[in-house]
Amino acid sequence: MSLDAIPIHVITPPAGEPGLTGNAPPLLRELAEQVKRLLETGESSAIDLSALPLTPTDLDWLHEKLGAGEIAVTLQASGESTLNETACPGIWWVTHRNEQGAVTSQFIEVAFVPELVKAHPQDVAIGLENLELMISDL
Amino acid sequence: MQGPLIDTLARQGVTRRTFLKYCATLASMMALPPSAGRAMAEAMAAARRPSVIWLPFQECTGCTESITRSHSPTLEGMIFDMISLDYQVTIMAAAGHQAEEALRNAMLENDGKYLLVVDGSIPMGDPGYGTHGGHSFVDHLQQAAKGAAAIIAVGTCASYGGIPKANPNPTGAVSVSDIIKDKPIVNIPGCPPIPVVMTGVLAHYLTFGSLPELDAKGRPKAFFGETIHDRCYRRPFYDQGKFAKTFDDEGARRGWCLFELGCKGPVTYNACATVKWNGGTSWPVESGHGCLGCSEPDFWDAGGFYKALSVPADPLKLAAAAAVVGAGAGVAVSFANRAKKGAAKKAHQPITLADLEK
Repeated sequence: MSLDAIPIHVITPPAGEPGLTGNAPPLLRELAEQVKRLLETGESSAIDLSALPLTPTDLDWLHEKLGAGEIAVTLQASGESTLNETACPGIWWVTHRNEQGAVTSQFIEVAFVPELVKAHPQDVAIGLENLELMISDL
Repeated sequence: MQGPLIDTLARQGVTRRTFLKYCATLASMMALPPSAGRAMAEAMAAARRPSVIWLPFQECTGCTESITRSHSPTLEGMIFDMISLDYQVTIMAAAGHQAEEALRNAMLENDGKYLLVVDGSIPMGDPGYGTHGGHSFVDHLQQAAKGAAAIIAVGTCASYGGIPKANPNPTGAVSVSDIIKDKPIVNIPGCPPIPVVMTGVLAHYLTFGSLPELDAKGRPKAFFGETIHDRCYRRPFYDQGKFAKTFDDEGARRGWCLFELGCKGPVTYNACATVKWNGGTSWPVESGHGCLGCSEPDFWDAGGFYKALSVPADPLKLAAAAAVVGAGAGVAVSFANRAKKGAAKKAHQPITLADLEK
């Protein structure tokens, strides 16, 4: 029997398009679970995108599906970080970059407010001290 | 400087958010769950800096260069804020008797608690091959190891003997783990090692109070869990059978697999393919040269840098074998294998790839 007897159709992905691996869609279900948990218990969670086998196309697909929300936070801390709300409130797309602008890590965070945005009580206390010093100098 | 680390960092203009961001990235690199980043930041921010004693033996200072000159001083440079580096001859201001006194004081004050970092192999042939202040390297190592909580062997020389141990090993060079048997030892091989691996091990120690999980060769699994080949961006070409045959042919220009040009990626466990070098700019294979296997034992005698590996890679089998062997037992096994390797060397038998892979 020659190979021609077997109906094989080779589908070549369009040039320049590495294609989707199929690894992105299950993440949406995981996110749904995490959002449910956030609503029920208030527990925040995160998915480390650099730890998963996702191609740039997969990431684009995910980014597109989740869309853009109302809030975009930019953090300047040894390179720029962006913490952007997606079209699904409670889901944040977090990208950390180094001083050269290269992405060092990428997360999807499920929280009412991303952890990094909140001011730490100790830092607030230091701010208060400075404020009081300022007032006493008036 | 005393007090919690976060205060030290604040004095140097490193904000809490910068630190949190750094920890999140570090946790991601170490394949820890995302929540570990915050746990790490909390623990490290409050941590008192542990005393670190750094002993150089038969080395070229390349390891120190790799770590102190990493591109972003606010990141890897932080390790020097996380620790109290009490003795490091290359970068310390003190010299001679003052330096030796600093070493003695650090050992006395932090007895049983300090971390001992070693770079370079130890010559066993003649004590005169390497001395500090009239004492042989092996005496120094044994004395400093006594009061150490753990030992970090930085670089291939300290981990496995490295280039000084290459045939015919004129100084009788051995690794730290060949001499010290009663302390936890982490090997961070590489010639030089990747800076973030060192930072990761220190961060793990500061956060969890223990050393990270190790593989059969005493290396942190988080960074040495997979081969260069497994994570190489040229891997698809290997799978398609597309190989560069010379360094200037069509295949080389197209960025095909360098296996036939002697790349040791399939048998080398390291994180170069993912972490890369020079702040994530590039790494050897990306620049067009095969992996030398510099983080594997006896890489210098592995049959030539430009000679193709004779057996096809079977990373799945190797990874499974590495995963099965527990950390503690693994170290013992690696000792046994190294002893066997030593015997083979004495009998003037060439080291085979199979020996390398044990």
